Amino acid sequence: MELNIYAYKCKRCGELHYPYKTICKKCGENDHNEFEIVPLPKNGKLLTFTTLYTLPSDYEVVTLALGIVELEDGNRITGQLDIKNPKIGMKVNGKVEVVRKDLYKKHLGMIFYKA
Amino acid sequence: MREVYVAGIGITSFSRLEYPLVEIAAYPGLMALRDAGLKKVDHLYVANMGGGRINGQTGLASAVVDHMSLTPAGAETIENGPASGASAIKQGYMAIASGMHDVVMVIGAERMREANPLEATDFVATLTHPQAEYIYGVTLPALAGMFTRLYMEKYGVTARHLAMVAVKNHKNAMDNFYAHLHEDITIEGILDSPEASTNNPYVADPLRFYDVCPVSDGGACLILATAEVMKKINKPMIRLAGIGQATDTHCVHERKDPTELLAVREAARQSFKMAGVKPSDVSVAELHDAFTILEIAESEEVGFFKKGEGHLALERGETQIGGKIPINPSGGLKAKGHPVGATGVGQAHEIVLQLRGEAGKRQVKNAKVGFTCNFGGFGNNVVCLTFIKE
Ligand SMILES: [Zn+2]
Repeated sequence: MELNIYAYKCKRCGELHYPYKTICKKCGENDHNEFEIVPLPKNGKLLTFTTLYTLPSDYEVVTLALGIVELEDGNRITGQLDIKNPKIGMKVNGKVEVVRKDLYKKHLGMIFYKA
Repeated sequence: MREVYVAGIGITSFSRLEYPLVEIAAYPGLMALRDAGLKKVDHLYVANMGGGRINGQTGLASAVVDHMSLTPAGAETIENGPASGASAIKQGYMAIASGMHDVVMVIGAERMREANPLEATDFVATLTHPQAEYIYGVTLPALAGMFTRLYMEKYGVTARHLAMVAVKNHKNAMDNFYAHLHEDITIEGILDSPEASTNNPYVADPLRFYDVCPVSDGGACLILATAEVMKKINKPMIRLAGIGQATDTHCVHERKDPTELLAVREAARQSFKMAGVKPSDVSVAELHDAFTILEIAESEEVGFFKKGEGHLALERGETQIGGKIPINPSGGLKAKGHPVGATGVGQAHEIVLQLRGEAGKRQVKNAKVGFTCNFGGFGNNVVCLTFIKE
């Protein structure tokens, strides 16, 4: 089964929210039944990025590359990068994989690769 | 609403402090009482972010009010991330302006160096969005690094501009006894010399070690009072004239243009409007330079310079002491230090010193209007204060 990251679409006005919000930021819809869960696309372009050298707990690597990606539908997501020489504007595609392991669980999130 | 004045101020060194959090809060409180010549307060607000998590102490304000033998005065702990300090000052203002209290003590205190650097980083990273940022390993420096890269691309800010902020603020801190870092750095040493890459390694590229504030312990205090109380004590009339606060999206990726700090813009606008002044009336400002890029970006968003031109004003020396609008004469978060919950109160402390004319070697001449910007999260909760000397 293909894993996805899900966004929340307001059925009344069509606004997509990622991450989830209790009230639609565009039309104010506040009934949770009026939101549908839709998968975010995985292709997009890199908006900005950084390589982090001081890592938070739970990571056993020396550096971590992070970025914000503008997806093909115009929504944005923060994710990890597995790209050698990232450049602003480059095309990327994402896979949902383990992005953090703590004592209790493995957290899934989007990792982007060069498209 | 009643006018609100600063009756007394106090501060600890911002560095590593080897005494308990409660005392880090109490000592500046004590200094402020002595400064004001007061013995009692009606109410106490204590700004703090990490007591519960790092020091294993919750209900900090209740502990502090007892430690200072100020019971039965009311006491509350205020947690609003790195903007806790200015938020607590805002609460103090409202308590007096509303007529509820006449004298309010506002303390900011933090003890973070007890935690190892990994824990401290992780503690601050809990400010980020739990599902959409934190789980990826996103930290505040990571958000700042991504922001800086965009800013460089869009406005032509360079590593040299960032280093100029660091050099200026370190230089200012040399004249601030209470500052965390007394280290007179040079562009040569942190950018140009062969040793620069060792002296100044990347933290979250393009941000390097000297672009990031230190992790500090520290406390600061302001006692706020009515005009009536001020008549009875002999202190300069420094009025808290304007307060603005605004929020922005939790996730940075949700901002239409992530180089814009809309909460800073809005909080500053409100603060100036309430005080009845313009950005060009400000004589001295303390901006939240947790990362060097933020001093540049905030100097634009609050209205000192046009968007995208803050780094040019910095080049021209306009933000130095003696320049058109001196920014961070205290050394800023960069060199004075950043004990998160105390920072906003520390910024106000510096502005009061400056407006009173008590800032010593780092005094900005004829300072009449002072401004602070206290930036919570990565700009998702911002509080700006305007002080006027009467
Ligand atoms: Zn809607």
